[in-house]
Amino acid sequence: MSTEKIIQLENVVKRFKVGDGYFTALKGIDLAFSKGEFAGLVGPSGSGKTTLLNIIGSLDSPTEGSATVMGKSIANLSHKDSALLRNHHIGFIFQVYNLLPVYTVFENIEFSLLLQNHTAAKRKKAVMDSLEWVGLADMANKKPSKLSGGEGQRVAIARAMVKRPEILLADEPTANLDAENAHAILDTMKTLNKELNTTFLFSTHDEKVMKYLDRIVHLRDGKVEEDEIIQFIDKVK
Amino acid sequence: MKQALRLAYRNLIGAGLRTWLNVGVLSFTFVLILFYNGLIDGWNKQAKRDIIAWEYGQGQVLHHDYDALDPFTILDGHGPISSIKGNVTPVLVQQATIYPEGRSITCIIKGVETEQNIIELPTSKFKESDTELPVLIGKNMSVKSGLSIGDEVLIRWRDKEGTFDATNVTIIGIFESTVPTIDAGQLYMPIEKLWELTGLNNEATFFIAGEGYKHNKSSKWKFKSQNDLLETLNAMIETKKASGSIMYVLLLAIALLAIFDTQVLSIFRRQKEIGTYIALGMTRREVVRLFTVEGFMYSFLAVILGSIYGIPLLWFLAKNGIPYPVEEVQDFGVPIANTMYPVFGLGLIIGTLLLVILSATIVSYLPARKIAKMNPVDAIKGKLQ
Repeated sequence: MSTEKIIQLENVVKRFKVGDGYFTALKGIDLAFSKGEFAGLVGPSGSGKTTLLNIIGSLDSPTEGSATVMGKSIANLSHKDSALLRNHHIGFIFQVYNLLPVYTVFENIEFSLLLQNHTAAKRKKAVMDSLEWVGLADMANKKPSKLSGGEGQRVAIARAMVKRPEILLADEPTANLDAENAHAILDTMKTLNKELNTTFLFSTHDEKVMKYLDRIVHLRDGKVEEDEIIQFIDKVK
Repeated sequence: MKQALRLAYRNLIGAGLRTWLNVGVLSFTFVLILFYNGLIDGWNKQAKRDIIAWEYGQGQVLHHDYDALDPFTILDGHGPISSIKGNVTPVLVQQATIYPEGRSITCIIKGVETEQNIIELPTSKFKESDTELPVLIGKNMSVKSGLSIGDEVLIRWRDKEGTFDATNVTIIGIFESTVPTIDAGQLYMPIEKLWELTGLNNEATFFIAGEGYKHNKSSKWKFKSQNDLLETLNAMIETKKASGSIMYVLLLAIALLAIFDTQVLSIFRRQKEIGTYIALGMTRREVVRLFTVEGFMYSFLAVILGSIYGIPLLWFLAKNGIPYPVEEVQDFGVPIANTMYPVFGLGLIIGTLLLVILSATIVSYLPARKIAKMNPVDAIKGKLQ
């Protein structure tokens, strides 16, 4: 893990309009994440983890404060620039996988590479490599509806990783999985984190996920309650 | 654009039956518009060809007092045939009454040259007859008057002094023509015989021009070119085309509504998909383009599907024609053949193609614009209402 800060959040505030008033989801978040971290935003529902993840993923922007990802200020990005940032540097994994139902597994994973205009040969190799990572090389031609929950989430990981992003954002990735599949997924992600030095940032309240994390940021009511670095020795314990 | 085409194609093929229902309706519309316009164009061409061949020739030279739409001008609307030189054939027009089976029928009697070959009227039959006053009538006139070949019928007319006279004429031939204006209520006899009956020797009401006729503008006779004469027919055909277009505009509207509906539903039903596209790095504009291209592709697939069944069907109809109940529509006043041959010109095909493709693309673009206003976070969660 390098000390290069690829995500920097300074006094990030996010307010949503609710009826005639506003709901403040994030209340001055100061955080930074380095390249290669395997970290999680942990907290109960409504604590602001998904909102923070969306801002880091440039799907949303802060109402106040500054969020800088890969050296780019999220608040100042145009639609096109934020799309480019997501396409080249950020991978997403969603709770319900969000696989495109009319595409095959291969086509789902290939999608990001199509946006990057890679050649067919390069796309094919990259897709097959990522399917190898998640152990689904023989399922390339299946439609998402034919996959189990665990397989679907592994395809989602492959889709997020195929473009070799610097950052991978995973929103409750194990929420719909049984324990066995959850561990398999997390093992896969941990391996990819080590091999490719990708920064993994989870939003979770799943105990199983927490056991894999190197850093846990506890959120409560839109504030950082605790920023906990997990030492190897703690994990052994 | 290549990427949008590729993704749109995948989306449409992946959507299965929904796609093929829309494509099927649109292709049917495409083929029907082509068929209807081809039929009108074919009718137009046939009507013009027949009316030129049977009535108008290369134009008509009318006596300055004669108006074909005003029967009161017949009495004075004639002049010497020596006034007009060139490749023309004179026609003398007189009003008359015939009395078949005790009924009286007001009609027009036209004196025409036996040797003429400018129009297709079978005037050479006069030569084959040895009767005193041979007359040709059309099939429609034959049906309405009950006259057949060989029948004699009493005819009454006025001579040049306005005195009534009457005699018997013999029907020596019944011609079949698609042109109602030369058939209904008309009798044809050799012009020399009509000169004798009326005393209007060497006079004509109008001339029908043949190839190469050049009108002398200083003449008092009015020259109406082929185009002038076809004006009324063109106007009638345009009117029929416009009224008929309501039908296919409605059909096209139904097909487009189906696509519009599919696209509007898609924006809501596929909002997670849209959110995922954006999360994966597509710009909103690219997503709008993708949905618009999907609409374009509906029409493109419709054209392909329509071509598969439309080309053989329309080719068969263009080659073999469509039987038409002429007897029931004779009173339209427009030449209609027993068999209508649709004509599918390149202009018609390209025009229809563009109409279908452009309209399908536009109705897809309209709902797709909503995507640009979507919040991707809500879209991913499927929270938009």
